[in-house]
Amino acid sequence: MNSNFTAVFCMLFACLFFSSCIRDTDFDQAENITLAPIVELDLIYFNIEASRFFDTINAVPILTVRDTTEIRFLDDGTLQESLKRAEFYFKFTNTIPREFQIDFQFLSEVNDTTYTTVTSVAEGTLTAPVITEFIENVEGEGILQLTQADKVVVSATIPSAEEGLKGTLNLKSKTTYFLEH
Amino acid sequence: MRNFLIIIIALQGSFVMAQNKQVLYGFDDVPQSLMLNPGGKVLQKKHYGIPFLSHIHVNGGSSGVSAYDIFKEGNDNINDRITQKIFEMRNTDFFTATQQLEIINFGWRAKNEIYFSGGIYQEFDFIAYFPKDLAILAWEGNRDYLNYEFDFSEISTTGDFMTVYHFGINKRISKKLTVGARLKLYSSMFSYRSVNNSGLFVTRLGDENSENIYEHTVQNADVSVQTSGYASLRELDGAGQVTSKILGRAFFGGNFGVGVDLGFNYDLNEAWNLSASALDVGAIFHSKDVENYRASGNYTLDGINLIFPPLADGDPTFPYYDNLEDEIKAEIPVDTLYNNYTQFRPAKINLGLSYGFGRFNASGACDCLNMDQNNLHKQNIGLQLYTIFRPKRPQMAASLFYQRRFASYLSAKATYTVDSYSFSNFGIGLSADIGKLNFYLITDNLINYTNLAKAKSVSLQLGFNYIIDEE
Repeated sequence: MNSNFTAVFCMLFACLFFSSCIRDTDFDQAENITLAPIVELDLIYFNIEASRFFDTINAVPILTVRDTTEIRFLDDGTLQESLKRAEFYFKFTNTIPREFQIDFQFLSEVNDTTYTTVTSVAEGTLTAPVITEFIENVEGEGILQLTQADKVVVSATIPSAEEGLKGTLNLKSKTTYFLEH
Repeated sequence: MRNFLIIIIALQGSFVMAQNKQVLYGFDDVPQSLMLNPGGKVLQKKHYGIPFLSHIHVNGGSSGVSAYDIFKEGNDNINDRITQKIFEMRNTDFFTATQQLEIINFGWRAKNEIYFSGGIYQEFDFIAYFPKDLAILAWEGNRDYLNYEFDFSEISTTGDFMTVYHFGINKRISKKLTVGARLKLYSSMFSYRSVNNSGLFVTRLGDENSENIYEHTVQNADVSVQTSGYASLRELDGAGQVTSKILGRAFFGGNFGVGVDLGFNYDLNEAWNLSASALDVGAIFHSKDVENYRASGNYTLDGINLIFPPLADGDPTFPYYDNLEDEIKAEIPVDTLYNNYTQFRPAKINLGLSYGFGRFNASGACDCLNMDQNNLHKQNIGLQLYTIFRPKRPQMAASLFYQRRFASYLSAKATYTVDSYSFSNFGIGLSADIGKLNFYLITDNLINYTNLAKAKSVSLQLGFNYIIDEE
């Protein structure tokens, strides 16, 4: 037999073995692989009592109150490279019978202003809280500026205040980060 | 090189244990079949593996996706294919890789008719289950998955790089029964595992009473990674130093373990034969260069709560961000531990039932390979079952095989296997003797062999031995 059969068998086996290959594939497509997660993340929240806008000791109004927090993840190198768009959503619930101007000032590590935005909040009443929503969409050049920031200063400005002013200004906020890796 | 890496990543993901050697099991013409059943039939009088060439085995597999699935040519977008696959695959799908290199292997039949065999081989094993939830989170983010509980228990992966010293005995204790055992000493050079994790992450939309828009909650988290042989590598500079350090542990330099292989072979009658083996029943005791990490706890993130404290000009406000980081670290601490741990080897069980026909007579004149009354047949067909005990669950495979001895110097075995990877795995092995030099070559997934990209697993074993037959 068997020698012929054996030779043929061995050759077939060898052909099969050495003919293996990878076909109909294009591994250059790997360059086009893009992770594009969309991440929802809470940002800041606060409750400012109306009394915070009046200095009872000196009997003078405090027309602007402000606070600052670091947001160090924003100027992280990875986020700088991958963030394509950020959509801030602010939801104010106001029971103070005053309008407010709210300023968001983003600062770099050395306190240079990199990005700012401002909105106004409608006045409310103690019995009928008024909700004001504000959406700030940041993309393109704005993203470059935003991702230079590592802190944000939030200022709430009231046109007038007096002792006995009642109510609360509440903020809830979140950011939608549109990433591409 | 780049393509090679992409293939590895796409096809295997990383490195594991897909150790089913269905063609080699029971392929008695190859001395290395003794490594799969220490109680197998031994046809030769002595064998010496050619050092570093007697058994080379590589195997990679992915139960849920092939390179072709992702990288096939077409007009559709590769990202759409990946998205589709992420949702098609299950959290029980896995990526595996195994590599074995025999350094030495030898055996001889002593005067008491016991066949002694021993050797040293190096082995690399890896398995990672597909963490589907985390893949979705990384690929899609959480926006479209509010209230969805991302499950940390899907994280399950182990990896080992070790040297194995072994010595076995094989004896035919009756005309029908052959039994064998092999003692193994494991010397682990590098090992890690992350199994039995738990916990979940969920983003819930808050209600009126919530502090903020969402509640990002990590609940009952308990995620750990155990490593040995890793801590001392961290300070090293470059791949060269790392490689040198790891290889330096190859000879009794690492963490030790012991295990046994057991097996038998029983001729039910002239035609039918039953065999079984249990391999790597043992454990490695990690005590040197051990470093373990564990993160556990509960935490709900609401964002940063601004207080607007009354401050004099120039006074700093509260360090909200630092406080938040400290709070998270306190609630979900990441501990570094140095406690010893025991890692059980992934035990494997083989079972074989074969039916032989056509008495083998190589020369036509005498039954040269059958002098000791071993029931060698010209052809065998049969069934084999294989189980390996993995971190999540045993993985099983069933094979039908056909084995044929063409001549005293040439035999072949073909298999059809159903396993976690596919229902169409055809394998073939060839053992040829050129004088006293034995060469064998085994591969599987023949259907996909002309286009390996479509294969969900590939396996290759080959080697050279110097064999002295019974006279």
